[in-house]
Amino acid sequence: MLSTILAAESEGNGFWLPHDINEVIWGTIAFVIVVGVIVWKGGPAIKTAMAARPERISGELSAATDALSAAEAKRDDIKSALADSDSEAARIVAEAHETAERLTAEIIERAHVEAASVRSRALVDIESSRRQATTDLTHDISRLALGAAEQVVHNNLDDTTQQSLIEAYIAQVGSSN
Amino acid sequence: METRTDAYAEALFNVARAEGHLVEVEEELFRFGTALEANDELRTTLADPHIPAARRQQIVEDLLGGKAGGTTVALISMVVGTGRGHDLPKIISELGQRSAASTGTVVAEVRSAVALSDDQQARLATAISARTGQDVTVRNVVDPSVLGGIVTQIGDSIIDGSVRSRLTQLRDAF
Repeated sequence: MLSTILAAESEGNGFWLPHDINEVIWGTIAFVIVVGVIVWKGGPAIKTAMAARPERISGELSAATDALSAAEAKRDDIKSALADSDSEAARIVAEAHETAERLTAEIIERAHVEAASVRSRALVDIESSRRQATTDLTHDISRLALGAAEQVVHNNLDDTTQQSLIEAYIAQVGSSN
Repeated sequence: METRTDAYAEALFNVARAEGHLVEVEEELFRFGTALEANDELRTTLADPHIPAARRQQIVEDLLGGKAGGTTVALISMVVGTGRGHDLPKIISELGQRSAASTGTVVAEVRSAVALSDDQQARLATAISARTGQDVTVRNVVDPSVLGGIVTQIGDSIIDGSVRSRLTQLRDAF
């Protein structure tokens, strides 16, 4: 039939319809038949496809909505996590500050204690050194004084003095009976 | 050692008494002991084991020959020859104690910077006798370290009236 149409078209008669009315009738009938077959065979499929499309679109919309909800939930989680991380970071920083202050206070306290101990030991050492120096000086002075006294006594122990000492001793022993 | 010193003192005492020269020997030994105490070189020489005994005894005889009796020289020479020269002062002191004890007296060793006269020794002996209730024989030792005054030792008792002790007390007072 198509070849007939093409053959008719190739001949041309100067009109838009074929000059043969039978050809028109049979062409129309063939056309109707072809359309009928198409509607008869393809209609249900098209109808089914058209009927399923809203559901599919609805499903896709629902899925999109779910995805959106999930994305929003994920976003909220991330925001929450970010907020938590900020607070955690702040807590860690605060704890670090607190630890640093505590350690600083402890170090300063230990330094004070150590300084006091060093000062105390130094005072004890100074006092000990002062006493030792005083004792040494006293001994030196006593030694020098004794040496000078011995020299003076020795120089003044003439025979008269010796005899006086001996007589005094004899008298003392005799008087202590 | 103390027992050996006592034994030597006892032996010397018995020999001197047997020879009948106890008082003389005791006096000469005391003077020799005093000289020995004052002379470090002599004391060291007589106690030196590296010097032959005969040489040490010869030194004693050279020192005391004509100045002390034969018994005294022999006794000192014997002690030095046996190598007990360093114990001689103790032996002499112990001999003095035994001699005094044999006559019922005690020996008072009196140290002074200058020698005491006989009168002073007699008066001191009288004073010590009155104090101790015993007859006392005074042995005077001239000891310059006393400086002045007297230090008397009777047995373990000491009566110290020396200038040296007063200076020591002065030092201890500081």
